[in-house]
This record gives sequence, structure tokens and C-alpha cells, in this order.
Amino acid sequence: MDLRHLLFTLALICANDSLSADDDRLQWPQISKCRSPEMETFSCFWTAGNFYNLTVPRILQLLYKKSNEEDWKECPDYITSGQNSCYFNASYTSVWTPYCVQLASKNEVYDKKCFSVDEIVLPDPPVHLNWTLLNTSQTGIHGDIQVRWDPPPTADVRKGWITLEYELQYKEVNETKWKELKPRLSTMVPLYSLKTARDYEIRIRSRQRTSEKFGEFSEILYVSFSQIGIGCDHCTEEVEFPWFLVVVFGVCGLAVTMISIMLSKQPRLKMLIFPPVPVPKIKGIDPDLLKKGKLDEVNSILACHDNYKTQLYSDDLWVEFIELDIEDPDEKNRASDTDRLLSEDHLKSHSSLGVKDDDSGRASCCEPDIPETDFSASDTCDATSDSDPFKKATEKEEDLLCLDRQDNDESLPSLANTDLQRQHRNTQSENSHLWAPFGDRPSVHTQISNQNSLASTDFYAQVSDITPAGRVVLSPGQKSKLGRAQREACTEQNFTMDNTYFCEADVKKCIAVTSQEENEPRVQEQGYSEDGYFTTESLTTTVANLGASTAAPPSSEMPVADYTSIHIVQSPQGLVLNATALPVPDKEFNVSCGYVSTDQLNKIMP
Amino acid sequence: MSTRGASLKGLLLAALLVSHMLLTKEGVTSMPICPNGSVNCQLSLEELFDRAVKLSHYIHFLSSEMFNEFDERYAQGRGFIAKAVNSCHTASLTTPEDKEQAQQIHHEDLLNLILGVLRSWNDPLIHLASEVQRIKEAPETILWKAVEIEEQNKRLLEGMEKIVGRVHSGEVENEIYTPWDGLPSLQLADEDSRLFAFYNLLHCLRRDSHKIDNYLKVLKCRLIHDNNC
Repeated sequence: MDLRHLLFTLALICANDSLSADDDRLQWPQISKCRSPEMETFSCFWTAGNFYNLTVPRILQLLYKKSNEEDWKECPDYITSGQNSCYFNASYTSVWTPYCVQLASKNEVYDKKCFSVDEIVLPDPPVHLNWTLLNTSQTGIHGDIQVRWDPPPTADVRKGWITLEYELQYKEVNETKWKELKPRLSTMVPLYSLKTARDYEIRIRSRQRTSEKFGEFSEILYVSFSQIGIGCDHCTEEVEFPWFLVVVFGVCGLAVTMISIMLSKQPRLKMLIFPPVPVPKIKGIDPDLLKKGKLDEVNSILACHDNYKTQLYSDDLWVEFIELDIEDPDEKNRASDTDRLLSEDHLKSHSSLGVKDDDSGRASCCEPDIPETDFSASDTCDATSDSDPFKKATEKEEDLLCLDRQDNDESLPSLANTDLQRQHRNTQSENSHLWAPFGDRPSVHTQISNQNSLASTDFYAQVSDITPAGRVVLSPGQKSKLGRAQREACTEQNFTMDNTYFCEADVKKCIAVTSQEENEPRVQEQGYSEDGYFTTESLTTTVANLGASTAAPPSSEMPVADYTSIHIVQSPQGLVLNATALPVPDKEFNVSCGYVSTDQLNKIMP
Repeated sequence: MSTRGASLKGLLLAALLVSHMLLTKEGVTSMPICPNGSVNCQLSLEELFDRAVKLSHYIHFLSSEMFNEFDERYAQGRGFIAKAVNSCHTASLTTPEDKEQAQQIHHEDLLNLILGVLRSWNDPLIHLASEVQRIKEAPETILWKAVEIEEQNKRLLEGMEKIVGRVHSGEVENEIYTPWDGLPSLQLADEDSRLFAFYNLLHCLRRDSHKIDNYLKVLKCRLIHDNNC
């Protein structure tokens, strides 16, 4: 249905076109336009059509009617406006009154139009166009002119009856496209920068100010500079804008600018273009320092760092310890004393332990207010000194091999954790703190701070026996917590526990404590039997004895027994270590609890 | 940075204002009431007429555009042109219909007539502004123009009253005024009828604004420039 409709419409259109195009066909008369040039009179024009010729000539009439009238009247003037026109003079014109005109012939109405005069105003073109030269450029190539004209004579602009605006168009003589200026009210306009070598044409048209349609164009005004003698004959060559050069230089300049920006603002720009890839970074730790810094500094930093961590984790410490203990038997194994004792390097690699447990390795350089630190008051390694986190974890809950501090105390395993050399140094107490089993020289300078975490039960952290030759038999012991506050703990220690042994540090501390000394308690070697061994029981007594006798803190000259060689590996549970004689260090060991660096070790070792 | 941003904003605002003025072809600038800021100054009659002519031209321009837009949008398919009878409510006011009549009428009478026409349009414009919003999917431009015309008409009325006050000698004549009763037609339920009512009203508005604009220009040229504009 739609298709048929469409086809029918198309057919109609074609027919219509052919009808209109064909002169032989019938053409109805129609009113072409009605126009008022000045809003005082108006005229209507029509086309007669061609059937006028075909049949008996009919007389076309134009009838008009004002809106407030009833009758159609005939056109008053068929002549003034030309053929096929009707002219209404001023007396017939009422400006704002609606008119209707119709083209009729006797009985037939061919066309009808309704309008009001103010709508059909199309002014006449301006008259008396002329131009004057304003000035020329220095080179004489360009010139400015002023164009003047008069409003159309029919339009009564002076009395303000009609307000006209004008549009000027100009072009060079051999051009085809006209340039337009904006419509304006004034009857003069300057034209700037015309080429004196060329001739120009100017035309103007006008319209009523609030209308949209323009009237006819005026006559063309010819502008020729040569006529007034300023033509520039030799200025034929035109300086055209050097677009090519502009583009080239612009691109070069832009490139130079870009490069200079890149180079000058390098860091920022680099950041923008190539944002830095985040590298793993530990807060507060300078990677450069790690690369080239002294181990002391690094350790201190790490210790401090760990201190913060321990603060964070302090509450969870117990849980952590437990978890660590359970979850990672491998860790435990790795962290076993055996391994540590066997190879320092190997042990060192177990820094992961340290990482795990924040407890570990609290350096005494850091705040002693860490709750775990039992020895906060002491100069020795703080409880928060570096200790293997694993150590801490393990020693916490379970039977801490070392004397159990309140919390997260230093771990005896700091002794054991020579591997934790990467751990923070205890800046305060610098005992080279090998976790050495008590040998014939139990004057191991243990760092109390490192007593915290003795690790798993797996840990050969207990001295089960000390041979007379100065060898220590290690065995994995059950950890018994030794609750202990500094002094009080010392005295309260369950020395009587089986398989309990004490960290050197602890022992020292006890001794120191008892001796009212808290500086780096060292077990006075001399305090112990020269036999070089002691049992827990003996230790107890020894301690007790020591408590009375020893007054001075262990001297720092006491060499630390560095039991690093395994002598005998007894049963799966026992290990006998060779005691390595240590030279008496000249100076105090500046070793943080629990471990000693290779450097220091080298110093110590002969 | 904030100051820079503020200055940029100011610049942008200024640019927008300028462009608006240029685009509307006729910036109805709010000129200072009195130069030199004196309190009890009086604008010259020339100045008053200048403003009045500017306002009337602006109003006619707006109403012309509004009518064209309305015609395009709503009237084309409905053959309103053919139906337009153009019986405006101000037809009862006998205003000069051609130049001769305009030149012959006394300027005071003409001023009064102008005032009368302006007053008569006060009410319809208010209703136009409100009712045109009820047209289904009325373009924003039409809505805005309706409101603007209503505002400007008020201002022109004020200005004209000032002028009349200046020019008038003698007693004040009866106020010329034609009431408007076309509100119901703007509220018809039938959409076609309603739109036709709007079409007529807008057509009348365009015509009357053109009248006023013309009269004022004639008066200005007559009174200020002595027929030599």
C-alpha cells in the first residue's frame, strides 16, 4: 500500500514537473509577489499563465480586501508598476492592516494571497554610490577607501518612518565570489587593505531593519586606483604569505621547544612520561644504605624498624608465635640451632625468620618502652633487640629457653640466631651474642635481649650437658617458661626445671642482676666451674653462688665462646659442640643480641 | 593558581557577555541612570527616546523571531496562515495606519496611544509567558523569549510614562487601554485550537510591536531631530 502510494506521488511530481516545464501545458495565473518598497505603497505582481493565449482572452483581475471589509475591490492601478501588476498608492495602503488579494477572472479565482504591508517591505537599492581614498600603505601596494551612498529615495528615512540597514559586497574584478560585510545602519563604510594594483566592484543592498529579506542590489560601483593615479604598476608581484616557510619554521620551533622542555624539566617530565616503577621498599630503610652501608648502621636501622613492627604486633604476639610455630615446621627446622651453628651463612639466609616475626631483633637503640621488653631498664639488649622473629615467636609461648621475659622479650635464641646477623644490631649492648651453649666458658656474652625467642622445641637450644672438655651437648629441650622480670625473674627462675637452660644472656643477667649490675650481663666465666660444664642444677647453685659472690659485671673482655663447630652429633637429639677458644676481645663486643656479624666474628676469632 | 583560575573565569564570563550582546544583535545595555552619578539628575529627552527606541526595537525583534519559530514549529502543518484573521484585541485602538496619519497626529496623542497599546499588552504578555510553557514540547527559545518580551515591555512602559510625563503639558488624559480576554483561548483543551490562539496572539504581538517601534522612531525624529534623522 505504501509502495503504491509512493509510486503515485512520484508520478504526480513528474507530471507536475513536466507540466511546469512544458510551455504548451496549462499554466495557471498566479500572484508572484507583493512588495512595498517604503511601507507607504505596495504593488502586487502576477504571472498570467499560458492558457491565456490558448483560449479566449480573459481579463485577469486583482481583487483585494482589507480584513475589516466584506467586499472584494478591484485593483486601483494596473499600470504604474508595469504589466501584470497592481499598484496601491498611499491612500489605499494601511500598513498594519491585513490584506487579501486574489487573482480572478470573472468567475474563477486563480490565486489568493493574504498579508500585511509591514511584512512585505523590500526597500529599493541605495543610490549615489561613491568612494574616496582614505590612505595607502607605505609600500603603496595596499590602500583603504571609504564608500558612501544614499538611502533609496523612496524610503523616508529622515522622518524615521522606515529604518534601513545596508549590506555591502565587494570583489575584485576578475573574481567570482563576493565578499560581504555585516549589515549596518550607516550609509558609509570603509574598506581596508585593497590592492591598489587591482580593480574592485562594489554593490550594496538594503532591507528594513527587522526584516530578513533584502531588496535588490544597487548598481555596481567600480573602484580603480589607477584612475586617481596611485596605481602601482610595478607592484605586480605579490608578497604572498609564506605559508611554507611558516609551517617549516613552526614545526622546527615546536620541536625545539619540546626538546628543551624535555631536557629542562627532566625530572618532572620524565615522571609524567615514564612513571617510576614502584620497587619494593621498606619504610624507613634506605636501599642505598643497605647496599653500601656499614652493617652496624643497617642493623640499627633494621632494629629500629623492627621495633616499630613489634609495637604493632605486640598485641598479637602471642598468637603469632603460636601460629608461627604451628604453621611452619619448616621454619622451625630451618631455624634450628643445628643449622645455625653449622653455617653462619646459611643461618644468615634465614632472615626470613626475622621478617616473619616482628618480635625479633629489637634493637636496644629503639624505644625501650616496648612492652615486651623486659630489659627495658637494662642496658643490655632490649627485649626488643634484634632477635629472630621466629625466635621470638617460638620462645614466647613455649618454653623459652632463655629466661622468659614478660613479653616478647629478648630471645635467648638471639644466641642461637647467629644467622640473624642481618638482624638489627643492638646498639646498646654490643655483646657478640652467639647463641652459644654454655661451655666451659659460660661467660658467653649473651645478650639478654636476645633471649626472647628461643624457638621451637626443635631448636637445639638447650644445653643438656657440658662435657668437661668444654663441649656442650645440645638437645632439643622443652621450653619452660621462665617467667622473669629482671631481678625478680632472675630469682624466680625455674632453674630447677629440667632441661632448662639459660641463655648466656639470661644467665649473665641474672648474675648481673643479682650483682646489681645490669650492664650487659655476662656470665663470668670464672664464675663457673672450670670444668666447663654445668647442669641446670649446678647452674642454679652457681648462680646462687654467683649472686653472692659476683659483684662485678662480667667484664667485657670475656671472650665469647664461639661454639661453631660440631664435634659430635649424638643421637638425633644431641649435638656436641667444640668450643672454640676465643681471644679476649680488646674491646667490648658491639654485637647486638643474638648474633654476631662476620666481621666481628673475624675480630673475635683468631 | 586560584587567582589565575579566578581571572580566567572572569575573562570567560566577560567573553560570554560580549558574545551574547553581539549575537542578540542589539544589546539592551543598562546604561547608567545618570551620568556622573548625580542623585537628582534628569535624563534628557533625547536620552529617554534613545532608550525607548532601543527597547521597542528589541521587543519587536524578539516577537518577530518568536513568531517565526512558532510558525516553523507548530503552524506549518496546520494551515494557520490561511486561517489567520488577525483580529487583535488592540484593533479597537485607532492608531495611525500610514505615514500621513502618523505625521498628522499630535505627538501627545501618539504618545498616549503608544502607552495604551503597551498597557493593553501587559496582561496578555504575562499570560503568554505562563501559558506558552504548557505547550507540548515548547522549544526553550520560545519560552525564553516570551519571558523576555514581558520584562522588556514593562521597562518600555516605564520609560514611556517618563517621556509622557516630560512631554505632556496640561492635564492627564484618560488612560487608553484595551482589555484582553483571550486567556481562555490559550487554555483550550483542543490542541489545534489552542495553538491557533497562540499563533494569532504572536502575530498580533509582532504587529503591535512593529507599530510601537515605528511610532517611537517617528516621534524621535520629529521631536528630537526635527524631522531630520
